[in-house]
Amino acid sequence: MLKIIIPTAMLMPMTWLSKPNMIWINSTTYSLLISLISLPYLNQLGDNSLNLSLLFFSDSLSAPLLVLTTWLLPLMLMASQSHLSKETLARKKLYITMLIILQLLLIMTFTATELIMFYILFEATLIPTLIIITRWGNQTERLNAGLYFLFYTLMGSLPLLVALLYIQNTTGTLNFLIIQYWAKPISATWSNIFLWLACMMAFMVKMPLYGLHLWLPKAHVEAPIAGSMVLAAVLLKLGGYGMMRITILLNPMTNQMAYPFMMLSLWGMVMTSSICLRQTDLKSLIAYSSVSHMALVIVAVLIQTPWSYMGATALMIAHGLTSSMLFCLANSNYERVHSRTMILARGLQTILPLMAAWWLLVSLANLALPPTINLIGELFVVMASFSWSNMTIVLMGTNIIITALYTLYMLTTTQRGKYTHHIKNINPSFTRENALMALHLLPLLLLSLNPKIVLG
Amino acid sequence: AHDVKTVGRLGGGDRDGKMSEIKKKIQSILPGGDWNPLYDTSHLPPESSDVVIVGGGVLGLSVAYWLKKLEKPRGAIRVLVVERDHTYSRASTVLSVGGIRQQFSVPENVQLSLFSIDFLRNINEYLAVADDPPLDIQFNPSGYLLLASEKGAAIMENNVKVQRQEGAKVCLMSPEQLRNKFPWINTEGVALASYGMEHEGWFDPWCLLQGLRRKVQSMGVLFCRGEVTRFMSSSNLMKTASGEEVNLKRIHEVHVKIDQSLEYQPVECAIVINAAGAWSGQVAELAGIGKGPPGTLQGTKLPVELRKRYVYLWHCPQGPGLETPFVIDPSGTYFRREGLGHNYLGGCSPTEEEEPDPGNLEVDHDFFQDRVWPPLAQRVPAFETLKVRSAWAGYYDYNTFDQNGVVGPHPLVINMYFATGFSGHGLQQAPAVGRAVAEMVLEGHFQTINLSSFLFSRFYSGEKVQEHNII
Repeated sequence: MLKIIIPTAMLMPMTWLSKPNMIWINSTTYSLLISLISLPYLNQLGDNSLNLSLLFFSDSLSAPLLVLTTWLLPLMLMASQSHLSKETLARKKLYITMLIILQLLLIMTFTATELIMFYILFEATLIPTLIIITRWGNQTERLNAGLYFLFYTLMGSLPLLVALLYIQNTTGTLNFLIIQYWAKPISATWSNIFLWLACMMAFMVKMPLYGLHLWLPKAHVEAPIAGSMVLAAVLLKLGGYGMMRITILLNPMTNQMAYPFMMLSLWGMVMTSSICLRQTDLKSLIAYSSVSHMALVIVAVLIQTPWSYMGATALMIAHGLTSSMLFCLANSNYERVHSRTMILARGLQTILPLMAAWWLLVSLANLALPPTINLIGELFVVMASFSWSNMTIVLMGTNIIITALYTLYMLTTTQRGKYTHHIKNINPSFTRENALMALHLLPLLLLSLNPKIVLG
Repeated sequence: AHDVKTVGRLGGGDRDGKMSEIKKKIQSILPGGDWNPLYDTSHLPPESSDVVIVGGGVLGLSVAYWLKKLEKPRGAIRVLVVERDHTYSRASTVLSVGGIRQQFSVPENVQLSLFSIDFLRNINEYLAVADDPPLDIQFNPSGYLLLASEKGAAIMENNVKVQRQEGAKVCLMSPEQLRNKFPWINTEGVALASYGMEHEGWFDPWCLLQGLRRKVQSMGVLFCRGEVTRFMSSSNLMKTASGEEVNLKRIHEVHVKIDQSLEYQPVECAIVINAAGAWSGQVAELAGIGKGPPGTLQGTKLPVELRKRYVYLWHCPQGPGLETPFVIDPSGTYFRREGLGHNYLGGCSPTEEEEPDPGNLEVDHDFFQDRVWPPLAQRVPAFETLKVRSAWAGYYDYNTFDQNGVVGPHPLVINMYFATGFSGHGLQQAPAVGRAVAEMVLEGHFQTINLSSFLFSRFYSGEKVQEHNII
């Protein structure tokens, strides 16, 4: 694991010491190399985990997320080049440093063995994200957005600290590998109910669960492109990952306690999809679609069957790549037209045909077209929830239909139709942007050939 | 305790002041207060807006209203109206005489006025705001009476034919019919008259402005008191279909300077609408329209400039009665009834040589004595004895090319749309023009009234849309 952590940490001095015209090139290439180093971790042998040291390990759940995180850093850097071009050199370097710190913390989070270390790093990832949102966001509402983001997550995760310390005291250890075997079934006493709630709420807020999702549209819309990408792709998955780890300790009470959250997720899934149909702001639409997809992951994790875990993992990776790519496309629109309203920039297919191809592919991925891993994830979750209760198939089916509806609505509003007069002179797609989209889509398409890597 | 306070005042100065400041800060941080860790920016416009409308007169507000009304998903577009004078002391809208007529010779003008009068007649359905009293625009449907001499009679007949085709209700009157209907008229020199029987008259422009303002504020349009000082634009060199190179510009930021301060706010925008009325020419120059070799499209300026016009209010106890229409004499003098106490408003368009200096809005009373009164007295003998009560001056957004409006996008600065240059009949066509511009922005083409002959490109191609007989 050190072979990933040390190079990532060293990216920082490299950024600060690079020549001004080389900062982007250096950071992007070296972060791409680091992501290639992390690829071998995907080669998991059997059911066990790769125990690399006392502090870090990786198993078939954390390896795909790790690869996603390291893959995303070069993409974030590529996407931020244009909106940072007018800043001073020190600010650019600071921005890149924030991204690198965030990357470092995320890598350590996904591979932590001790749950307390996981918690500390989980909280620590909030700080660089908050700095990115509030300092480099676009509008004055970003302060509000940052506040919502910070305090929602903090309020949810403080009880988790208490719960983890309690478990450490009773069980003697919080090392994940040991706790798998030492976990005793807990009975349904009041204090255990609170323990369950304390453990789960942090991740529920992060996912986000439907009732606690207010921070997400704000944070996504106000964040700059790299902030949106990392929020959608990775930070939301922290919640899913954490939930999957911590439910091992909380059996068998999850069967009863999960009901309210299942209801909220199932209902919230349909609700947020429907809100997407009414959105006029492109980024806001993509943010709400993130909530909808993550609600599926919550349902999957709470059901706790092997198939649902596989579906959840696949869905997390698929959604990470799809959502991040959608944000990149929305940003490329915004940089040209200077407005995020969908109806003001229509008919882009005639003007930017290659970009329209990327839009089409990612929209098809978003609506879970076979054989993408989006479909595999959703299908496994639907099957598992059907076996949990027959009635959920109605809600799941409705959600799939509405997802298709709003994705196609987004596609046809921005790409099809007659173009408006005032977008006649937008810049053609840059190679950087095309490369960005291709690098997002390539893993997604390759994974549909071999999905068992991400199926956990 | 008292001693401590006095000692504090002598020595540390403002212990009391500090305490109250601390109390104020705590109160504002508590929920409900509006504490902002950054400096207070409530007087500044937002940092970004989808559409920025330069000019908050009746045309600008009409475009804002129709943009919010015609947008498909509700609340999709953010509109900002930038107006530098919220008292509207020099705006053409409120200084206007307020007449509305369909008697134009260009068919599009007739259509515009027809829709506008329908809008005004149903103004309380269009501009209704919950819990606010209904609007009373005091529309006097007295009609317009245009008088033509021998030379102009043929043109007038043609015009009336065009107007009738479009649906206006106009009748032609011979001098005897005139004398029968309006005994106070002296028909000497009049060969023909056209009288609008319906949908013509005058109304209160201030009420329309306030009604529009109230309604667009309720629809979510933001207002800002400031002046547009700069446009930041980016340009692209592109090739047209025939292979020649053009430089297309797009404005991506508007710098709005706050009144009486050096502070300015860059507003990021996707579309700019130039509805600055008489000052549209200056705004267009800011955007770089007209900077190029003359005779090319780049070098074609927006030919809208300020022209001053006087309006006089007089009292004449023996004057014409309630059925007095808005009379326009062949010499160019016009007058209308104002209120119920034998007061009349009127004026005259000066010729090119006598154009007054538009630097200020001072009234020249000699103009009335020399140019307005004699034709008036000749046409209406009762006006030989009158007393001028007051007078004011206002600006026309005068289109020096063909005295008709400019609507639609600029071919080179592709996200600037015009809604200006109506040279004295802007107020009466404002609702319809607003709708046309909103359709252009939202759909890309005119849907209800086809104003493609009013586009900017006619200044370059030279196709004038000229009215015959216009005031």
